[in-house]
Amino acid sequence: MTRALHSEPASALEERHPPAIAQVGVAGVRQQRDGDFAPEDFALAIRDATKRWQKRQAPILDGLELTLKPSSLTWVGGPNGAGKTTMLRIAAGLIDPDRGSVEVWGLTPRQNRARFQQLVSFLPAGDRGLYARLTVRKQLEFCARIAMLPRARFRRSVEQAIDSFDLHELADRRVDRISMGQRQRLRIAMTFLPRPEVVLLDEPLTSLDGDGATLLHEAIDELLTRDGAVLWCSPSGEQLDMRFDARWHLDHGRLVSV
Amino acid sequence: MSELASSMQAFTAVMRRDLHVYLSYRTRLFSQLLTSLFSLTLFYYVSRLVHLRGFDSPSVYFAFVVVGLALVSVMYSCFLIPEYVRQELVAGTFDRLVLSPFGAVRGVIAMSVFPLILSFVMAVFTIALGCAVFGLHLHWATVPLAIPAIGLALLAFLPFGLLFAALTLVIKQGNVGTSWLIALMALTGGVYFPISVLPSWLEQVSRLQPFTPATGVLRHLLVDSPEAGALGPALLKLSAFAAVLLPLSILILTKAIRLGQRRATILEY
Repeated sequence: MTRALHSEPASALEERHPPAIAQVGVAGVRQQRDGDFAPEDFALAIRDATKRWQKRQAPILDGLELTLKPSSLTWVGGPNGAGKTTMLRIAAGLIDPDRGSVEVWGLTPRQNRARFQQLVSFLPAGDRGLYARLTVRKQLEFCARIAMLPRARFRRSVEQAIDSFDLHELADRRVDRISMGQRQRLRIAMTFLPRPEVVLLDEPLTSLDGDGATLLHEAIDELLTRDGAVLWCSPSGEQLDMRFDARWHLDHGRLVSV
Repeated sequence: MSELASSMQAFTAVMRRDLHVYLSYRTRLFSQLLTSLFSLTLFYYVSRLVHLRGFDSPSVYFAFVVVGLALVSVMYSCFLIPEYVRQELVAGTFDRLVLSPFGAVRGVIAMSVFPLILSFVMAVFTIALGCAVFGLHLHWATVPLAIPAIGLALLAFLPFGLLFAALTLVIKQGNVGTSWLIALMALTGGVYFPISVLPSWLEQVSRLQPFTPATGVLRHLLVDSPEAGALGPALLKLSAFAAVLLPLSILILTKAIRLGQRRATILEY
């Protein structure tokens, strides 16, 4: 897998990022300050995230810290029930940590909800999250609409998703009439459709065939070349044909470098 | 494009999604139309059997019931919202709304629009069928005024659906209490008989809910009815229900979603 860091004019950055981020500028986003990154320099920053399901039980996440730099692909593994999905749900702004915070380009899901959700896209594990009786195209259109894409980008985004994930033959078929692998390809297409800055993937290879996996790799490449970041979670032991910038193992609620 | 325009597009997208899903069940519309026809037929013959004080003829009672039946379907559609929310939770599609810039609160409100429009169409069909098949006489001069009146009634009923949707998000059951509430509102709202026949304490209960003024307003505008009541106070009451309950229900729905996010139960079902 190849990828290249490339710079782009500030106007393009402004187009993609909210003004608060755009003000930081390309240099600001990438620049390392005093040996440490400023909050807005990270695509995603999870700070001191702690989550406990029951008061007397050990926390599933225990002061977890994770930062994703722009143009980075990070893997987090761990056994079943280690807390990977919980971490992703917190990172996506779906649930709150008991303690700690999540920021995407300095924005939090509670203070800047809509902006935050424009920047982040989450692929949950499993095969849920689809409307069984809608066609693939209608599903993508719905996804584009609730992502509140500008009218000018709407059609193009849907067609691009169909192209990028090779969904032409499936476009007019109902979701309950396509295979599990095809559904997974659609779910991934929906994840990348709004051109998010940060993509959170929970076991994305589930049911995917080789072609589907290649399409996913290409989509990740494209995201990384425009300074996006990807957090990929899957159980330890899964064979992954990817070059990750960082690999972590989730152990007793904390991340351990692999 | 402005935020408002994007929101409107997302709102429309939810409606269109619900329309596509509805149309994908090809016999559903036919079945609903048939149910409406059967109800009208039943009450047409009941109106020939019963004689109520204040109703000069069977036709007057039939007109009274037709308007009640039409409005019940509108009210019922509001109480479908919690069931739709539960279906979204079970299908795992609710998190898509929560994680979208559009958001879950607007998503749930948007979810209510298609059933409301459909129920409005069904209400019109019921009344039209009453006219075409059973000889119902309408006040054609004031029929156009019934449209905004139904709109106002919808705004007064909608908060109940949103409140039960909020309850669904918290306790994960869609139909707890809705069936008895629908029955209570229909009973005390004067759908099948005038509220004057109720015991006085129950008659007082009927004044505490929006269904009673809604039926009164519509009967006033559409048919000859001895129990229609005065138009002004009924409209005022409906407006008050909508003005107070709608923002309150949206606030409670917002709090329910946030509670689910804090307790991490938002996706449980």
